[in-house]
Order: sequence, then C-alpha cells, then structure tokens
Amino acid sequence: MSDSDLRVAIIGGGIGGLSLGLALRERGLRADVFEQAPELAEIGAAIALSANSLREYARLGLVDELAAASTVPSELIYRHWRDGHRIAAEPVAKDNAYVGRFGAPYFGIHRADLQKTLSTAFGVENVHLGCRLVNLVQQSDSVVLEFANGRVEHADVVVGADGVRSTVRRWVTGADDMVYSGTSAFRGIVPVANLPSLPDPQAIQFWMGPDAHLLHYAIGGHGESVNFFAVVNTPRIWLQEASVVEVADEVPVASFRGWHPAVTEMIKAAASPLRWALFGVRPLLHWYRGRVVILGDAAHGMLPHHGQGANTSIEDAFALAGLLTEKPDDLEGAFAQFQVLRRARTRKIQRSSWVTSGLFHLPDGPAAEARNEKVARFVQDFGWIHEYDVQRALHSAGVAPAAAAQARA
Amino acid sequence: MTQDEVLTGVAEVLGRIAKVDPVNVGAEQTFADLGIDSVTMVDVVVAAEDRFGVMLLDDDWSQFTTVGDAVGYIQQLAATGPTGVTQPAR
Repeated sequence: MSDSDLRVAIIGGGIGGLSLGLALRERGLRADVFEQAPELAEIGAAIALSANSLREYARLGLVDELAAASTVPSELIYRHWRDGHRIAAEPVAKDNAYVGRFGAPYFGIHRADLQKTLSTAFGVENVHLGCRLVNLVQQSDSVVLEFANGRVEHADVVVGADGVRSTVRRWVTGADDMVYSGTSAFRGIVPVANLPSLPDPQAIQFWMGPDAHLLHYAIGGHGESVNFFAVVNTPRIWLQEASVVEVADEVPVASFRGWHPAVTEMIKAAASPLRWALFGVRPLLHWYRGRVVILGDAAHGMLPHHGQGANTSIEDAFALAGLLTEKPDDLEGAFAQFQVLRRARTRKIQRSSWVTSGLFHLPDGPAAEARNEKVARFVQDFGWIHEYDVQRALHSAGVAPAAAAQARA
Repeated sequence: MTQDEVLTGVAEVLGRIAKVDPVNVGAEQTFADLGIDSVTMVDVVVAAEDRFGVMLLDDDWSQFTTVGDAVGYIQQLAATGPTGVTQPAR
C-alpha cells in the first residue's frame, strides 16, 4: 500500500499530530500537519514517556536522541504529605527493572525537546504553521478545510489531533464535550540544586495528602531539573474561558501549607503564579463522522494522573496509521476498527485517572491506608497500561504490524 | 426493547468479554460473581455501548452491582436516549 495517494490532513501539530505524521510515513503514506500556532512551541513543561509509546519511537530510531534529553527515574515512590515517609516504592532505572518488565524505557522529558525531535524527524516542510481551522465542509469524495488565514485545502481524510479543546471534535459530535474536573494544578521546573530538602531527587514521586497531591520527576540529559505538578481540589467550578489563569504570588505555596518542606520549597522555588484548570473529555460513543476522525486528547482527554495523555495519543497515532494503510478505500471500516481497538483501552485509563485523583487526595485515615496498600501493588494493578503494544494489538485485529508492513513494501 | 432482549444482549457481551457462557447469565448475578473487576467492567461497558448504541455514564455504571442493574439502565436509555450526551447526526 506504499503507493497510496490518500491525502491526509492532520489538524494539530502537537505530540499526537506529529506522531501520526511519522506513523503514516513509516507505512508509506504522506500527510500534512496544520497547526494554529505561528510556531511549534509546546506548552505544559514536561511529560513522561512510558514503554507503551517509546517502543513505537524506538522502531523509528528516535530513542537515542530522546534519551539524550531525558532522565530515567531511579524509582517510583509514594510519600506521605507531611512527614514524607515512603509509603511504597518500585524500582525503575534501578536493576533495569522497568525495561526488564515492559520492554522499553521510561523517560522524563521537556515537551519542547520531544516536539523538536518529532518535528525534525517528520520534516518541517510538511508542518503548516499559523493555520487555525475555522470550517470543515464534507463533500462526497473529499473534505474542504478552511483556515483563518484564508488558506483552503482539500483532503481525503481529516484527523483531529487538536487537543482537549478540539475544533474537529465539535464538528464530529456536534457538542462541546469538555468537562472541568473540579481540580487545578500549579506546575514548574526547578533546578535540583535549589531543592536541598528533597529526598531522592532523581525518582518519580507522588506526595499524597488531604485535598491535594504533588507529582515530580527529573528531566534533562543529566537529571539536572525537576518538573513538578501540584494538584488541588479547587476551584469547584471553573468560570474563566482560558484554562490557565494568573493567581496571586502566595496562592500556590499557601495551597500546600503544612506539607513537607520539600514540597513547599519546590513550589516556592518555581515562583510561577499560574493555575492550570484540569479538563477532560466526556466519554464519547463516536470518534468519527464521514471522512473525519479524532484522536488523542480530542477523543479521550483525560486527567494526567497515570501520565498517559501523551502516551495514549501516540498509541492512537500508530494504530490509526496501521488501519488507514490497510483500508485506504474503506474509511468508515478503518475508523470503526480504530474505535474498537482504542475506545475501551483509553476509557479504562481515563476512568482510572479520574478515580486516582480522588485516591491521591484522601485525608489521613482508614481510606488513605487502604489506598496506600493499593499503590504498593502498582505493577500488578497498572502494569497493563505500560505493557501494551499497539503493533501486537493491530496484529490481533488482523492488521499487519509496522515492521511486517515495511518488509512487505 | 424488552427486558429479555436487553438481557440477551448483555449476556452476549459478558460471554465475549468475560468468557462466561451467556446461557448461564441471569439478572440476579453480580458482576463480582462473574469475576469482573473494575478494569474488565470498562470493557463490558464499552462493548455494551457499541452493542446498544447508547452511552453508559461513568457515574451511573460505577454503581451497578448486578447484571439486572445494567439491564434496567440500558433499557431505560434505549427508550429515552442518553441524558446529557449529544450524538451527531450520522
């Protein structure tokens, strides 16, 4: 199918969109990415890439470059919010435990570094910046895309990889399916040198306490900085149009009053008076309409508590690429199979992230003790998230996995 | 859709997802009895959504104990359409 001339337009130049471009190219299909921003500048600090997505990038030969900008956490550690004692821990880099168990590494990486690797590999000439989609017109044999800058494009397939506030999703479902979680976050990146109180700075750690938690992990080629994400159960209702708003300087630290000094020191050191609303997308029955399909956060935007928003977008991208190559003349069939392959898995992680948010925010007491026993079983309970192999899933669904498809072509 | 028709559909879904014999599935059985944990329950929910063409809301299905709870809920949805969920014109 390497000679297919299907015109694929990807809306959104984030991690999901660029990954789809790369995944399609791996299978011999060309794609154009349309990004509304005037330049590729990822917001949102850092992310963690887990084995379920890195095994795809590994096949494309991107892992060495990503590794040079990443930190592999020493351990996964859960801690008590006030006294900081270790509640549970799992080795990650230690004894090569994670790679041994899941077959690919776990990286903490700045989003800008990831996006640079992806966009360079994909080729900037196929990324069209400053293209904000304003209208989609479906015709019998193509889709007309109209952009705010006056540009008009025709495509056979349109993929909305345009995030939790997706314009394409609104066209697919006819509704705004974004939901505010009742939680918001403060985030920042702090040099390790500025965190003298922090135990195990190279670990990925969750500090869990009443109505809040803080997650952090190291990033950069030498673990020189710590990326943190501090989540609170407020405000109950999000009234602003923007999802990031300024708050008074003292608000982030004041939200963690009484917590371990490592936590307050980290939040204070970042001095970032911004509050990020955490939104998700309500589960949807259909991810496509006609020649238009959505993936990633646009389809199943989730809370970040399993660190799987980007990782599941990458899985989606490689799954969709396999199906589009297999069925270029049967889009309805390809999209239907894409949903079958992806909807249950992403719904499980979406649901579990939601439940986890509540579990992380329990006050000390019997419920928190039960939670502590649960997090100690992380690998047994959540190994399924990381062991997933999208090529194996495609193979089970009767679609040639990427390596085999390449050999055939 | 009658209660029996929904039960038959749910039993089919359970047969496929949880590898139980559909003929042995009754309304009084609990999902726990059928060996369905919270993760497998999502597979059941998504397969039931596709089977019946309705959305089962997380806040609702997470309260199900028995197969009959699911059957009653789906029967009601199929009659009235899902609340709070908009679906596009196909």
